[in-house]
Amino acid sequence: MLFPTVPFAIFFPIVLTLSWLLMPKQRLWKPFILVASYVFYAAADPRFCLLLGAITVANQLAAVAIHATEGERRRKWITAAAVTFDLGVLAVFKYYGFFAQNVGDLLNSFGLGLPLPLLSIALPVGVSFFTFQAISYTVDVKRRLVEPASLLDAAIYLSFFPHLVAGPIVRAREFIPQLASARDPEHVAVGAGLGLIGLGLVKKVMIADYLGRVVVDPAFGVPQAYGGPDLIFAAYAYAAQIYCDFSGYTDIAIGLALLMGFIFPQNFRSPYRATGFRDFWRRWHMTLSRFLRDFLYIPLGGNRKGRARTYVNLMATMVLGGLWHGASWTFVLWGTFHGTGLSVEHALGGRVKLPAWLRWFVTFNLVVFAWILFRSPDLELFWTYVTGMVKPGPLTLVSAPAVLALLAVIGLQLVPERTSEGIEVGIERLSPVLLAVALAALILIVGATVPSQGVPPFIYFRF
Amino acid sequence: MERFDRQRLRRFTARDAVMATALIAVLLLLFAGGSVRRAGEELNPGIGRDVVLAVGKPTGWIADRLPFSDLSHTLTGWLSPDKRLVGAGFAAAPPSRAGGGASAAVTPDWFEAAALGEPQPRRRLHTLLVTGDSLSTPLDLELGQRLAPDGVEVIRDPHLATGISRDDVVDWAKLSATQVAEDHPEAVVIFIGANEGLPMPGPGGEDVSCCGPDWAAIWANRARQLMDNYRQDGTAKVYWLTVPTARDPDRKPITDAVNAAVLAAAAPWRSQVRVVDTAAIFTPGDRFRNAMEVDGSQEIVREADGIHLNGAGSSLAADAVEEALDRDFTH
Repeated sequence: MLFPTVPFAIFFPIVLTLSWLLMPKQRLWKPFILVASYVFYAAADPRFCLLLGAITVANQLAAVAIHATEGERRRKWITAAAVTFDLGVLAVFKYYGFFAQNVGDLLNSFGLGLPLPLLSIALPVGVSFFTFQAISYTVDVKRRLVEPASLLDAAIYLSFFPHLVAGPIVRAREFIPQLASARDPEHVAVGAGLGLIGLGLVKKVMIADYLGRVVVDPAFGVPQAYGGPDLIFAAYAYAAQIYCDFSGYTDIAIGLALLMGFIFPQNFRSPYRATGFRDFWRRWHMTLSRFLRDFLYIPLGGNRKGRARTYVNLMATMVLGGLWHGASWTFVLWGTFHGTGLSVEHALGGRVKLPAWLRWFVTFNLVVFAWILFRSPDLELFWTYVTGMVKPGPLTLVSAPAVLALLAVIGLQLVPERTSEGIEVGIERLSPVLLAVALAALILIVGATVPSQGVPPFIYFRF
Repeated sequence: MERFDRQRLRRFTARDAVMATALIAVLLLLFAGGSVRRAGEELNPGIGRDVVLAVGKPTGWIADRLPFSDLSHTLTGWLSPDKRLVGAGFAAAPPSRAGGGASAAVTPDWFEAAALGEPQPRRRLHTLLVTGDSLSTPLDLELGQRLAPDGVEVIRDPHLATGISRDDVVDWAKLSATQVAEDHPEAVVIFIGANEGLPMPGPGGEDVSCCGPDWAAIWANRARQLMDNYRQDGTAKVYWLTVPTARDPDRKPITDAVNAAVLAAAAPWRSQVRVVDTAAIFTPGDRFRNAMEVDGSQEIVREADGIHLNGAGSSLAADAVEEALDRDFTH
């Protein structure tokens, strides 16, 4: 079920109303919200619910076992088993085809034939997100950062529908304490919730989908048909599209959760105003960045084991982070590109002093270049695209609305953060009735821009 | 996280949240109640469709009797990115009863001239339209990537979740007329059939269910309307791809009816409408398979849904299309 669709527009008001009605009776509210979340997930494919249930039960058993175990060594083994199970699920559903095809091609080149059966396995929506949340739960219990929850709470944590399919990746210690008692019905950030939902809809439907339809999809679909100026413009348009698509989803998710009384962590903070790769990753998909930092980079040794090892750790973290996005060499190279950027930045260690605007300019353009890798379905098309960027040609994809959308997305991120936050807070403090009328009008306007084919899925649904 | 407390944003109540959401719902139902009904009609049969229609029918009924939805449409209609469709729709050519009319005259278009020893000069291809439902993509990308370097303008116009038997979403007769009027393609590649199987009005106006001869005849007549539009009085060529067998055996009757209807529909224009039999390529003997040999090694050719072709499969389909194109065009 996509957020900006009619089925969800029917689903959410019903669930919100029942949720607040049942909230004082937690024994009723918890099963209700669990069932609602599974209904939401089953709309994609009911069979995927079994997988979500299996991940929940396995990690809950592990969490309880870890908590009941004194010996550090045994705790480690149980944690490792649970994480292996979670990663195994990811490996089978997300990476098996990629692995089998590449191993097959490699062995075939030596004349050894195909060793692994080729299966086309459906990718369960959101599997990358809920397996990472499951890992965070088990590991945080092992680290004694959180107590094991009840099975019901753990199931709600993993399946809560606002964050289920595309994050943000909420840590157990952020969410499970919010389940400890009923949400306070007298303190709800209604203005912020409605404001974020409206902002997310505009970002997703009016900007991301528009840029995708008129600029990005044609250029990345058949780059051979376009000259350099079009391809360069489309690369910037994709930077705007993916930001609006993903942060739009996150805004809606956070807004829905706020209306239900729950608070999710921030996931984006004007990423295109970053003045370095490190800065970028503190602003882009922040919940993934901190997951990779806390569960991969630091356990690998972080920067505590010497310069060379730091670079290895950075590269390993970013390559795996790239691979998390999908089973393709383009994602591996995208991660490698960012890992290299972070390593170079680390190596320079602030010794090269550049003006802030130049650091921003270099970072922004390198990030946009890396997005070409991210968007390309394979390396061949990436190469065609990149070489096409230097070929002369007319500007056929540029139009006033596309340029305006692009400038709005990039330009608004360069507005001083205090100013933009001030505007946001001003809107979020408005009366809920006024905001409701404004949001209804906005939905009508946004709805009118949707083509008859409907709203395309969020880009991060594939991950 | 503390932002909401620091800035005193949690100053409203749960009642405010519910009331605001209810107000939004009421306003949307008043101004766009018909959209809910339409959205329900466009969904595939199932519980989701039933629920949406259960809400959409009464709200649509109310919205139809109030002036608000017209006002909303007047104010926001200009924002729609959809093409303004022209030409006659399916309703303009209602199906007739079997044996009800005189048999159609056989014309030279029924025959493949080359097969009768008459040489057919090949033309240079300038504009190719690739269209259809979701089956047509990524085939459209593959053809675009192959032909664009030769200077062929490949117009990609997929219409996802549409079908010839579901004109509630888009009327393909009108759409094909619009595509031709706008783009004047010299060749059209169409790959459609993933969303078929819905009942269609029969000769007496009654709904005819899939997938017997009556349904196939109605579908074939509709497909023939498209073919006639695309062939542009014989000045253009049409390449119509059959639908490979799906993994789900429940879909087989639909696929069989669609593929048989395509052949029947194309019969009067054999020299202009070429049927590219992808079913024979991907599912020989009507047996579904995930993977097949491509360039000496096994590759997965179908998407995980067991219906669509993936990139490798689309590449094979593009080979077949290119081969058919090469009989009529140079590029």
